[in-house]
Amino acid sequence: MRYLSLAQSLTRSSRRIRIAGLVALSACLFAAATHPALAQGTNDWSELQRGLYLSRVGDCAACHTADPEKPMAGKYALDTPFGTIWTANLTPDEETGLGEWSADDFWRAMNEGIRRDGAHLYPAFPYTHFTLISRADSDAIYAYLQSLEPISQDVMEPDFPFPLNIRFVLNGWNLINFEDRSFTPDPERSAAWNRGYYIAEGLGHCSMCHSPKNFTGAVKDGDAAYSGGMAEGWLAPALRPGSGGPGLSDWSKDDLMAFLRHGRNSRTAAFGPMAEVIDKSTRHLTDSDLDALATYILDLPESGEAPADSEAIDTDDPAMQTGALVYATQCSACHGPDGEGIPGQFARLKGSSLTQSSDPTTVVRLVLEGVRSVPTEKYPTPHAMPAFDWKLNDAEVAAVATYVRNAFGNSAPAVTADAVAEIREAQ
Amino acid sequence: MAISRRYFLTGASVLALTGGALARSYRGSVPWSSKTARPPSPAGLHQTFFSAEERSVIVAMVDRLIPKDEFPSASEAGVVTFLEDQLAGPYGRGDIYYLQGPFQQGTESQGYQAEAPAILYRQAIADLETAIRKEGTDGFTALDAEAQDDFLTALSEGEQELEHVDAKTFFDRLWEDTQLGYFGDPVHGGNRDMVGWKMIGFPGARYDYRPYIDHNGKALDLPPVSVAGNYQREAN
Repeated sequence: MRYLSLAQSLTRSSRRIRIAGLVALSACLFAAATHPALAQGTNDWSELQRGLYLSRVGDCAACHTADPEKPMAGKYALDTPFGTIWTANLTPDEETGLGEWSADDFWRAMNEGIRRDGAHLYPAFPYTHFTLISRADSDAIYAYLQSLEPISQDVMEPDFPFPLNIRFVLNGWNLINFEDRSFTPDPERSAAWNRGYYIAEGLGHCSMCHSPKNFTGAVKDGDAAYSGGMAEGWLAPALRPGSGGPGLSDWSKDDLMAFLRHGRNSRTAAFGPMAEVIDKSTRHLTDSDLDALATYILDLPESGEAPADSEAIDTDDPAMQTGALVYATQCSACHGPDGEGIPGQFARLKGSSLTQSSDPTTVVRLVLEGVRSVPTEKYPTPHAMPAFDWKLNDAEVAAVATYVRNAFGNSAPAVTADAVAEIREAQ
Repeated sequence: MAISRRYFLTGASVLALTGGALARSYRGSVPWSSKTARPPSPAGLHQTFFSAEERSVIVAMVDRLIPKDEFPSASEAGVVTFLEDQLAGPYGRGDIYYLQGPFQQGTESQGYQAEAPAILYRQAIADLETAIRKEGTDGFTALDAEAQDDFLTALSEGEQELEHVDAKTFFDRLWEDTQLGYFGDPVHGGNRDMVGWKMIGFPGARYDYRPYIDHNGKALDLPPVSVAGNYQREAN
């Protein structure tokens, strides 16, 4: 904070001292420009700001801030298919946080998933993605985290069953699933695409939710990548057309940028875990980074896997008939008689990729539980969809889900009452 | 009233103690979580207000007000269930009325002037049974349909008086409540299977009538829907 205090003194002192201060300031600036060590010191304000920004790009707070009163102090219970894992305390507390960690230690954790004491970190921490980031970015995040208020908060070991509770077995996991990578720009691609790749595949770790996972819990790549995955019991929809549904195939770059910036666009509104991502991460992105991210995501290649059965269910189907009645009486006031929604307000179901996802979990959960959009600067008043679990039975929820997935020109597999019962049970 | 020093200090300290506990400050947006809104609670059959005798009198009366034809009678449509539920709750207690003294004769324009509806109903039933028995008949249920109609007409026109309550006030309440039970949402216990709505062609608690804005008074011919959903499901 050297420069800051100097600036403060400038405003307070007499004119003579002010001049002396100016001389000193220019000397400092000169020194900073000529001495990289000074410019990159942990007290460098712009370095801290960069670290803060990068921590937002990486959405660190989503998992590491469980209690808003204790930012980055961890202890957020992350439910995984293998058990519960509690996130680490990233504040510079010496006993329970990263107080003893050096920038090198932090880099090793980000790059290789290895803790300061040499133990492996569980891959719920996305080092599989963070390995891509540059040393400079890692150092900036480190500097930012070290500047936080130290908070003492002990974090428990995960409650994984044997042998997963032995961190050594992660050597095997890493052997199969982890590749220590660094980012090399593709000269064939635009600068925006390359930046977008760096953000999405690195800090942004988008595929942690939007790709399916293999039996070891690792993100699948290749044809399966970005074909949709599960996140906190919600379906993170496919981002590209293929087995997971139509993805974002008919989204424009403006659509995607508005969605990531404001939580809404002309076709839909964010909710659930993605609303949180927008709130804590993507709405803070600079215009150029947001543009880069959208460029990369919309350029994802079409999945080689065959698209799901695209034959729409006939309107004479009994489920479609019931669904049409439920839709007309419960849904159409907001989503429109023809599923057209209201731009910037209520989601359009006609042509919606989420509505037509192969996996109907999210559609069913929306109907059962309702949901609220995320308040952002542009749309400070969030709309909520009410819960219908108390008034619609399983068959009716299944019927209306089937209906919205096959009316208005949509087409997606029918939803069964049993599937609804299962999702209702899981809540 | 003069406020004593002790009184003031006690009040101030109570405020100071509870003020902190009640204060909540929210930044950003008000927290939201799913399924915290309270859905309407359906009327249950378990709630009883009337005794068996009172109930039989009420059944007989509402079934004269809305008798059975091609549609069910009032009691068959659940009107008595509706009345039981209402009279056992805030409506019966008269929660929306000021019921303290001093009591003066009010005017018609001042609205409802009687006791809490639960007391009105109970007292009126007792009084009318006494009045009918004095004439040598074994209560309202023992009258034939024509005599029942005559008695109700007399009540409604203020010709038949009741000993403790105003007869016309009671009749007007009963008639209004019977209609509410027959045509209100089934979630409240009456209008079973939405028969009242089917009778008059009312499509119920649908959210959206925009597609029908230009129907120009023509019948809608839409199946009715209850606030609680209910697509051809049994009420209760």
